[in-house]
Amino acid sequence: MGTRALQKKMDQILYREQHGLLKSSNKSRALRKILANKLAIIGLVLFVAITILCVFAPLFTPYQPNSIDLRNRLAPPTFGHLLGTDQIGRDIWTRILFGGRISIFVGLGSALGAALIGVSLGTYAGYRGGLLDATVMKISEIMMSFPQIILVSILVTIVGQNLWNLMYIFILTGWSSMYRMARSQMLSIREQEYIQALRAFGISKAIIAFKHMLPNAIGPIFVNITLSTAMFILQEAALSFLGLGVPLDQPTWGNILNVAQDLTILRESWWVWLPVGVAITVFVLAINFIGDGLRDAADPTLIG
Amino acid sequence: MINFIIRKILALIPMLVVISFLIFLGVELMPGDAVDFMISPEALSTVSPAELEALRDELGLNDPFIVRYFIWLANILRGDFGYSLQSGVPVSQLMANTLPATLELTVAALLISTLLGSLLGVVSALRKGSIADNVLTVAGMIGVAIPQFLFGLVMIVVFVFNLEWLPVGGRMTPGRELFFQRLEYLVLPAVVLGLALTAGVMRYSRASMLDSLNKDYIKTARSKGLKEWRINLIHGLRVAMTPVAVLIGFRLPMLIGGAVVIEQVFQWQGVGQLFVMAVRSQNTPIIMMIAFFSVLMVLVSSILVDIVTAILDPRVKLS
Repeated sequence: MGTRALQKKMDQILYREQHGLLKSSNKSRALRKILANKLAIIGLVLFVAITILCVFAPLFTPYQPNSIDLRNRLAPPTFGHLLGTDQIGRDIWTRILFGGRISIFVGLGSALGAALIGVSLGTYAGYRGGLLDATVMKISEIMMSFPQIILVSILVTIVGQNLWNLMYIFILTGWSSMYRMARSQMLSIREQEYIQALRAFGISKAIIAFKHMLPNAIGPIFVNITLSTAMFILQEAALSFLGLGVPLDQPTWGNILNVAQDLTILRESWWVWLPVGVAITVFVLAINFIGDGLRDAADPTLIG
Repeated sequence: MINFIIRKILALIPMLVVISFLIFLGVELMPGDAVDFMISPEALSTVSPAELEALRDELGLNDPFIVRYFIWLANILRGDFGYSLQSGVPVSQLMANTLPATLELTVAALLISTLLGSLLGVVSALRKGSIADNVLTVAGMIGVAIPQFLFGLVMIVVFVFNLEWLPVGGRMTPGRELFFQRLEYLVLPAVVLGLALTAGVMRYSRASMLDSLNKDYIKTARSKGLKEWRINLIHGLRVAMTPVAVLIGFRLPMLIGGAVVIEQVFQWQGVGQLFVMAVRSQNTPIIMMIAFFSVLMVLVSSILVDIVTAILDPRVKLS
């Protein structure tokens, strides 16, 4: 680009800035950066594809996830059963699709729930400071000093094993990291001049915190939600593997994988455990790609 | 320095009291009690309610909650951790039987992930954009996304079933109990647990090293005409390793959590397996002790992190 072209471009930017037109191009900057990020796009496509397959599961399979066919036990993949059948003759492909519904729901639901609690507490307490902030901070410190799986296992035995309880437990154990992240964002935003101006106008603290500060912290929050979704899906799988997750009569990705504890199945029937393992890994990978893309797009210090 | 450490340890005590109370409360809220699990359903019909009550009394299950908490706490302070409700074996003995196995596994995994993770991360940062960097980055992403136990199962299929190099699980063959004889049992679980953590350490140390290489003092060092390896290793690495040390310290809860799962995969008879068994049978003294112990480990490691940070980074003040 020659010097004159460069100058012309600078003039254009200056003009748009002076006439308040720069905002719209700023908004699309985050979008542009995500679109330019190939991995994020791959992640998004995989995420959408797997989610659609799972949500509209009955359209993609003729079988029911729990229908037993004892004459067809541990059958290897054929055209009739795309991924074969398990030890009591249930169609694996069907179970992966229906299991995905629950696993994705648990992961996404828990992440959103944890974000709702963690972010609202973090936003308000982080801005106000004082006793409220100190108390919540102490509680989150206590929560975080437990290894997650130990805390979750104890809670699962207290409230009993079912789908909703598992989500409540994930939310209860997961909000503290969201809280800390939102709080640290608030602490840095709090020092900015526009906040002082708002305070001088006498606007209420809650309105300043939620209406004027929170939107500026939304980038890292979204990144955190995506990464937590991935974490909860992995946790559901690990808990089911230990026999402490969703009850075995409901298909989830973790429950399908659970049978691989049987060494004979592990050795001889790869189609029972490998495809669902790949499904979990690919889905989590896709979410992480999206999360990384969001982080790069939200962080103005990374130019590109 | 000594002052700093003492202050940190003193701050730990109220935290531990609160946590011990919470653990006790949590276990209290669990449905059923030990007596329900001690008697098989067939035998239950022949046992009269009065006998059940006598058994509860004997085990101290009928005292008020707060009394039992203080009895429990006082016992712990005297080194008495209670007895397994099913077998009557002292919890301290169960811990002593399983803890060495878990320590062996976690220390090996910690070594693998720390050495490999920071080494690969630094290599990746120094050769940014190269094929090696890209391969490592992709491997790291997959490493974060794959469930640990699935990775363990795949390794069993490859190295045990197909190549037949290593035993499928357990910790030792009877009669061959020296460390190097047991090594073949340790390799697979330690590598699986280690590699699962390596991915995170690698990603982090790469970012940290890149960050450190962009700093002004690196330019200063370069303009002084220092050798490139000296700049990278002495000026860049030392600063880059501080956040990595912090990360490794904070990964300890994940390490313990990972050990619970990996011990189950490889039938490694450590604390994790003991914990899962105790949770399934609501063996409260064991659950409490392991939960309490793991929290203690996490808190102590966070103090260690503070100390290591202070040593590595002169900008951190100890006060």
